[in-house]
Amino acid sequence: MNTTIIRNSTMPNTVKPRSNLSAMFHGAMPTLILTFVVLVVWELVTHLFDIKAFVLPAPSAILRELIDRQALLASSALVTAEEIIYGFLFSMVVGVLMALIIVRFDWLGRAVYPLMVLFQNVPKIALAPLFILWFGYDLAPKLLLIVVMAFFPISLNMLVGLQSVDPNLITLLKSVGASRNEVLWRIRIPNSLPYLMSGLKIAVTLASIGAIVGEFSGASAGLGYLIQFASTQMETALVFAAVVEVSVLGMICYYAVEFVEWRFITWAPKS
Amino acid sequence: MSSSSPPNSASADPHIQVRNVSVDFTHAGQQNRVLHNISLEVPRGGFVSLIGPSGCGKSTLLKVMAGLLPPTEGSVQVAGMTPQQASEQRRIGLVFQEATLMPWKNALDNVKLLMQVAHKDRSDAQITEKARQMLNIVGLSHALEKRPSQLSGGMRQRVSIARALALDPEVLMMDEPFGALDAITREEMSDFLLDLWRKTGKTIVLVTHSIDEAIFLSQDVHVMATNPARILESVKIHMPYPRDDSTYLHPEFGTATSHLRRLLKDGHSMRAAA
Repeated sequence: MNTTIIRNSTMPNTVKPRSNLSAMFHGAMPTLILTFVVLVVWELVTHLFDIKAFVLPAPSAILRELIDRQALLASSALVTAEEIIYGFLFSMVVGVLMALIIVRFDWLGRAVYPLMVLFQNVPKIALAPLFILWFGYDLAPKLLLIVVMAFFPISLNMLVGLQSVDPNLITLLKSVGASRNEVLWRIRIPNSLPYLMSGLKIAVTLASIGAIVGEFSGASAGLGYLIQFASTQMETALVFAAVVEVSVLGMICYYAVEFVEWRFITWAPKS
Repeated sequence: MSSSSPPNSASADPHIQVRNVSVDFTHAGQQNRVLHNISLEVPRGGFVSLIGPSGCGKSTLLKVMAGLLPPTEGSVQVAGMTPQQASEQRRIGLVFQEATLMPWKNALDNVKLLMQVAHKDRSDAQITEKARQMLNIVGLSHALEKRPSQLSGGMRQRVSIARALALDPEVLMMDEPFGALDAITREEMSDFLLDLWRKTGKTIVLVTHSIDEAIFLSQDVHVMATNPARILESVKIHMPYPRDDSTYLHPEFGTATSHLRRLLKDGHSMRAAA
């Protein structure tokens, strides 16, 4: 009797959140310390050995660049962010549709799936010049490049999720006369969502790579374009600053996807 | 060898009648006999178990009885019709070893699933009410909102039984429903199942590999052996209901246990000799 009272009154609301926060802080501590040490050593090395700024700029110089050129960096980041987000959303539509078609229509699926796997072995980066040739220097070729790079992990993961349904559950549904569409909507699609999220997390990383590679191949704006341009001008600190922004951008996109997963997928897939 | 023993419980109106059923699977061009000439009857409102070593075809036999698998030879009748027809009329409820619940839905929604497909004419309120009743029957009225991951193995299996009951079947066919549970929970679930049987009067067919479970629960135990997969003997369990913990001490329990154990062992050694 006593123990239950103690448990009910103290455990749930009061103690846990705070302990979670401090646990998070303690968990991040080693990483923060290591990062700080690396940055300090880097800074010292560039000064002690008098390394030229166009070879390896000091972290402080990169930080200065991030602040001084923030307008240029921000406008470039906006272009790249747009490519990543639209490209990612397109990849999602294409990837999910492919998976649904393969599962829903046997014949079409048998035709499409091998081609999809075959296409996966084409080095997509090699296609970038073609896309530039066809669609110019704007958004379109970057979107296309991102889609061909990123739809595959989405399709593949979603397919696994659509197909890894307990066969006995399907048996039960069919025994009461469920149609294929009903099985798809009631069981297969919800079952596939956690798998879809794993695919999306891989895809969002590929999307930022696709955007940068697309800009390398031909662009008039964006962080990838800025990196290439600055490196030809020996503005190495600006290159680093742009790389920092690309990384931050990629991280934001990744955690946005993870947030959606955390918010909406509250069950773990059965495995 | 009493495979020629008279068909048990030769009631005038058997609920389920299996006559000379054989099932062959063809694998890589080779025909494989999974079930050989099996006949049995399940009386209306009866509690019958199929027991045998793994791979003896007891689950296959249950599938044939449930209309999920057509027999190669022989015939099955459930309530005077083919099992497919009986299944279409929702006279058969199925429970598997795994609870096969949707992890993204709570207990109530899981119980509603089959009704939502089967009873398109009923309102959501009616279906919800029925699901509530069923969860009440299996003793889970306090866990309606719980997801499967928040329920114990025994509770999950109760949800899956509630889901089967929700369609008002006459027959409950269960394929090792407690096979994935620990020993203590198994005994608890046995008591629960007997209570459910008494309350609902359903005909129950249980596939199990536990001798204790088969004897404790059933009126008839059909003992199966492999190679070829067949029924060795149908054993009647003469113990009164309600059965409870004292049942394990009943002299008949000991007799039946050693008899079944012998049968299963003989079936096994015969296979080894073959």
